[in-house]
Amino acid sequence: MSHIKQTVFIVDDDPAVLKGLSRLLNSAGLGVKTFPSSQDFLNYFIPNTPGCLVLDVAMPGLNGLELQKTLAAKGSAIPIIFLTGHGDIPMSVRAMKGGALDFLTKPVNDDELLKAVHIALEKDRRALRARAEVAEMQQRLATLTPREREVMVHVVSGQLNKQTAADLGTVEKTIKVHRARVMEKMKVHSVAELVRLAEKVRIGKHLD
Amino acid sequence: MSWVTIIWSMTASACLTLALVNFLIWCRQRSTWANLLFALMAVATAAIAGFELAMMRAVTLESFGLALRWLHVPAWVIVVSLAWFVRLYLNAGRGWLLWSICGLHTISLILNFLLGQSLNYWEITRLRHIPFLGESVSVADGVLNHWMLVGQASFLMLLIFVVDATAAAWWHGDRRRALVVGSSVAFFVFAATGEATLALWHVIQWPIVASLPALVMVGAMSLELSRDAQRAGQLAGELRETEQRMILATEAAGLGIWIRDMAGNGIWASDRWRELFGFTKTEPLDFERFLQRLHPDDREEVRAAMEKAVAGTGHYKKEYRVMLPDGGLRWISARGRIEFNGDGRPVLARGTATDITERKRSEQEITHQRNVMTHLSRISTVNELSTSLAHELNQPLTAILSNAQAAQRFLAQDAADLDNLREILTDIVAQDKRAGEIIRRLRLLLKKGEVQQQPLDINEVVQEALKLVRSDLLNHGAAAHAALAPGLPAVTADRVQILQVLLNLVMNACDAMAGRPAGDRRVILSTESADGGGVCISIADKGTGIAPDHLEKIFEPFFTTKTQGMGLGLSVCRTIVAVHGGKLWATNNLDRGATFHVTLPIATETNP
Repeated sequence: MSHIKQTVFIVDDDPAVLKGLSRLLNSAGLGVKTFPSSQDFLNYFIPNTPGCLVLDVAMPGLNGLELQKTLAAKGSAIPIIFLTGHGDIPMSVRAMKGGALDFLTKPVNDDELLKAVHIALEKDRRALRARAEVAEMQQRLATLTPREREVMVHVVSGQLNKQTAADLGTVEKTIKVHRARVMEKMKVHSVAELVRLAEKVRIGKHLD
Repeated sequence: MSWVTIIWSMTASACLTLALVNFLIWCRQRSTWANLLFALMAVATAAIAGFELAMMRAVTLESFGLALRWLHVPAWVIVVSLAWFVRLYLNAGRGWLLWSICGLHTISLILNFLLGQSLNYWEITRLRHIPFLGESVSVADGVLNHWMLVGQASFLMLLIFVVDATAAAWWHGDRRRALVVGSSVAFFVFAATGEATLALWHVIQWPIVASLPALVMVGAMSLELSRDAQRAGQLAGELRETEQRMILATEAAGLGIWIRDMAGNGIWASDRWRELFGFTKTEPLDFERFLQRLHPDDREEVRAAMEKAVAGTGHYKKEYRVMLPDGGLRWISARGRIEFNGDGRPVLARGTATDITERKRSEQEITHQRNVMTHLSRISTVNELSTSLAHELNQPLTAILSNAQAAQRFLAQDAADLDNLREILTDIVAQDKRAGEIIRRLRLLLKKGEVQQQPLDINEVVQEALKLVRSDLLNHGAAAHAALAPGLPAVTADRVQILQVLLNLVMNACDAMAGRPAGDRRVILSTESADGGGVCISIADKGTGIAPDHLEKIFEPFFTTKTQGMGLGLSVCRTIVAVHGGKLWATNNLDRGATFHVTLPIATETNP
């Protein structure tokens, strides 16, 4: 699962900077793809492509912050590392609020950049894994009957079988059977495990 | 003594006296040819008087005939010198007529000696005695010589010539002279020829008395000539007065006067001039000594200016420094004129010198202050740009650092790719140069150097300005476009100062557009030929424009509509452009925003 191919995307209007950064990342064994403008990147990029984005703030046309906003609007969660010539505070605050992973000042040191890129890639990997897990859980959830879902909601909310039975207007024994079926279908062995899983897919909210 | 003797001898002596006076005048001043001619006329009149007296007193036919024949010699002298006198004195009269008179009368003189007993008589038969002025005088009877008409024709031509010359002089405005000379000559010709003709034909019983009208004429002319002498005396007096006044005026104005002998190189100078140049009153002066007194840097220029004046217009004008013997320095403004002789060779140079040290000092002070002001303003501009320039510098530094660190990492790996490393090093060198270029540009802007006027390609300066503001524009979310006319003439200007003006104007344009949507923040820099020679640079923005009553005010010092800034940028810009002989003004665009226009004159030789 950890061997999906990830790409570091770099967007900067300065060709010399693009070339230098791309060499540096290559030297660390990373796959790189460079773009001279935000628009070029947008034309190429498909959301959820694995990787991270190293983005210059000041560019003619669409600048870095505007690109960040556009990507967010498209539902992309790609981690972004900003590069800037002069990181003034209001700008970095805006970037971080927009979900930027880091905000580095040019000229950037290799360790600093690589560390940030690795963190970003790790975050992207984790997000990918999380997305895969959620998808798996959604699949398991889909196998539950409506009654079993109701029982599951009660279980993860921490209610006893007796209370659940009373709420659903049935007997404790029936609830026990449903509960066993839920555990089986969701492939968990304990209530604690079921609760954690439900949290991941936010099942409580979903079923409310 | 008889009346005839008294009158004729007095006539002769009066004429001789006048002749002597005028001859002496001519001796003193050889250019007064009119006086010499007059003297000749007067002598001839005296001679005629003598011959007439001899004729009246003649007792034999031979002595009468001889006197009459020789009388034509002074008569010829009178006619010829009279014609030339009129020509010279009135500065009029037709040349061909003049020569005809001389020729015709010379012929009549030759005939006088060749034919008959004289021009008048073919043969004198007898002498008669008639009463004249209370005594008996001799007149002749005989056969008249008809060749006499040649002489009379020349007199008629003389009359025509004189009338014509008089009329011409009258029209030229020399009326008094024309009237006196013309009327007296006309009177003489009429009276002398008339009386002689009447007497020869015995219409009147008179001897020939041509010397009397000649005396009248000589007297009238002499009065006129003496008036000239009197006027010359008066002029000399006035000239002395004017000279005194001029000396007074030059002294009051502190002007030193100098005259240079172009052949001998010697210089005469007034006391004031000597004082200005630190020479004593008696020290001998020449051009080399004068040059030695000048500041070494100015010597060649002064020499060249003088040579140029000699070779060209004859006008000399120069400002230079004098090193005084006491170690002081004095600024002098000198001007003069070269005088040439008839061959166009320079003879004299004369002129004045003034002390302009005070003026120069205040000029230098003003220039210095203006330069300080300009430099301060430029520093403030660079300060505004500094963040952007730092960013600009960060680009090559980023490229260099990442390339270098990439190379280090490649080297740490086992199989280093040498080609790759070579490429990296090439890029590092290029980026290093790029950074150096940015620093050079910055240093140029901050330098507090002498103003250097040199021929500039204005399009190049515009490109340079755009490079400098690139990052600033980016930060403002603005874009700049250049629309440069090709093949513009060079302007003479200080590169840094013009750059400063353009930077200011572009940065102002950016500020003016801060409130506009990002896509609309555009500055257009265009260059074109200006009307009437020169180059025009326009900086147009799409900002808020300028309130109509502020269009001029924005150029006043300390006027600002911004919350930051001293309000000096535009006033300094206008000063810079004005010092370059150009103009800076603002207009509002028809659609949106404002345009600033800069005109600069094109480079010329005389432009310093």
